[in-house]
Amino acid sequence: MSNPSKSSSVLFDALGPRGRSRVLLFSALSAVVVLGILAYAYFQLNSKHFFDSSRWVDALDALVIENTYIPGLLNTLKAAGLASIGALVLGSFIGFGRISRFKAIRFLSGVYVQFFRAIPVLLLIWIPYTISNHTGTAIDGFYFVVVGLSIYNGAVLAEILRSGINALPSGQAAAGHAIGLRHGQVLRLIVFPQAFRNMLPAVLAQLVVLLKDTALGYIVTYPELLKMSQQTASYYTQSFLQVLVVAAIVYFVIAYALSKLVSFIEVRMRRKVPKAATTAAVAPAPEPV
Amino acid sequence: MPNPKLVLEMFASGFWNTLWLSLASFAVALVLGAILAMMHVSPAPPARWAAQAYTAFFRNTPLLVILILFGFGLPKLAIDLEPWQWALIGLGMYTSAFVGETLRSGINSISLGQAEAARSIGLTFGQSLRHVILPQAVRTVIPPLGTLYTALVKNTALTLVIGFQELAAKTERMINQDMAPVWVVVVGIIACYLIINLPTSWFISRAEKRAAFAR
Repeated sequence: MSNPSKSSSVLFDALGPRGRSRVLLFSALSAVVVLGILAYAYFQLNSKHFFDSSRWVDALDALVIENTYIPGLLNTLKAAGLASIGALVLGSFIGFGRISRFKAIRFLSGVYVQFFRAIPVLLLIWIPYTISNHTGTAIDGFYFVVVGLSIYNGAVLAEILRSGINALPSGQAAAGHAIGLRHGQVLRLIVFPQAFRNMLPAVLAQLVVLLKDTALGYIVTYPELLKMSQQTASYYTQSFLQVLVVAAIVYFVIAYALSKLVSFIEVRMRRKVPKAATTAAVAPAPEPV
Repeated sequence: MPNPKLVLEMFASGFWNTLWLSLASFAVALVLGAILAMMHVSPAPPARWAAQAYTAFFRNTPLLVILILFGFGLPKLAIDLEPWQWALIGLGMYTSAFVGETLRSGINSISLGQAEAARSIGLTFGQSLRHVILPQAVRTVIPPLGTLYTALVKNTALTLVIGFQELAAKTERMINQDMAPVWVVVVGIIACYLIINLPTSWFISRAEKRAAFAR
């Protein structure tokens, strides 16, 4: 009965009969509260005809699926894929720039990272879009999304790369130098392969965030999943909320599956890596959007 | 037409709106997040499951989708709130999922020996939590919470889509109505975000150093 998530179980003693019955009572109570909230939400939604099948016909119509969700999702994936490549390339350059031997390069890449991490991604996409609209140059929203997300996530990935490399015991690089490897060789043969393992989960998690951020295409009218769904929703006014709910579920399922995959990979990697390499790798706090 | 006084007023009101919305929704997120964290570590399975479902949903759905669902979708159910109220609810609920996870991992980051030691000298569950676990957990949790706040400040920009007049929304108006040269507007808005976020980052790194010392 009392089986709290393993890591927190130390807070509790193994429970005796009285404790067990107390937990049982508490469980029942919390179940009642949770079910009560759900039931309240259900009746509220029901009284507003949220569940009426007539409201869902349009939202789940084969034609709508074919013309809204699927092309929208494909556009989302297209933008996410290209922006991921851009962010990885930029991130590698800037990240290695931050550990460069030249002070000027270190400084400049530091400024890049600090600057682009401090301002909202939305500005990177939206201000160029507003300016180009205002000056009358029509550029497809797609480019704003891809470029903006690449620049922002490049900064985030650079920071992940740097901390992955810094987390390695300095003896690793020193040993490389001691056996006569050049700086580039030390990085390529010794530091990077180990750092790569440490940071792979964080990089993948950031790419999932990037995928979620493609929803920002909405503000520059790039027809990704959210924009397409909102257009369809405005067309079928009776099913407005329902169409958006379907879109939200699609986003959720994809991002949830991917982040489960990432944590699976993380567990696998942790099992393989020898202890010394992972000591300093405290997972960074998950950063929203 | 360029109009310095008007531009300054726009920046000031945008800055103020961004600042108070970020602070208010962070307060909401802290309260909800603390409740979530308690549910996460509670011995009652239904409470844990509810917290997990809530967290999974809000962490894996884009914030923009949540804001549009709230701001445009729920009014269709005749739930009429002002844009700032939807912004507050949306940002608060979204961020609370992350706060809950942070608080939980803060509790879990305390080494087992600490809790065992507290238990073995006879402290009760409540005492060991209050005197041993939480004081340490709070210290480890402050830097990541600060990071969450800076992320939240940046996220307030998204509320422009539901018509909340924060900094980014003001920028569009200033650019479209030619109130000032574009570069002035761009530099101004970036400066506004830096004014909020740089002191926070400085505070975070200071708190991190302190937490490292205290061990």
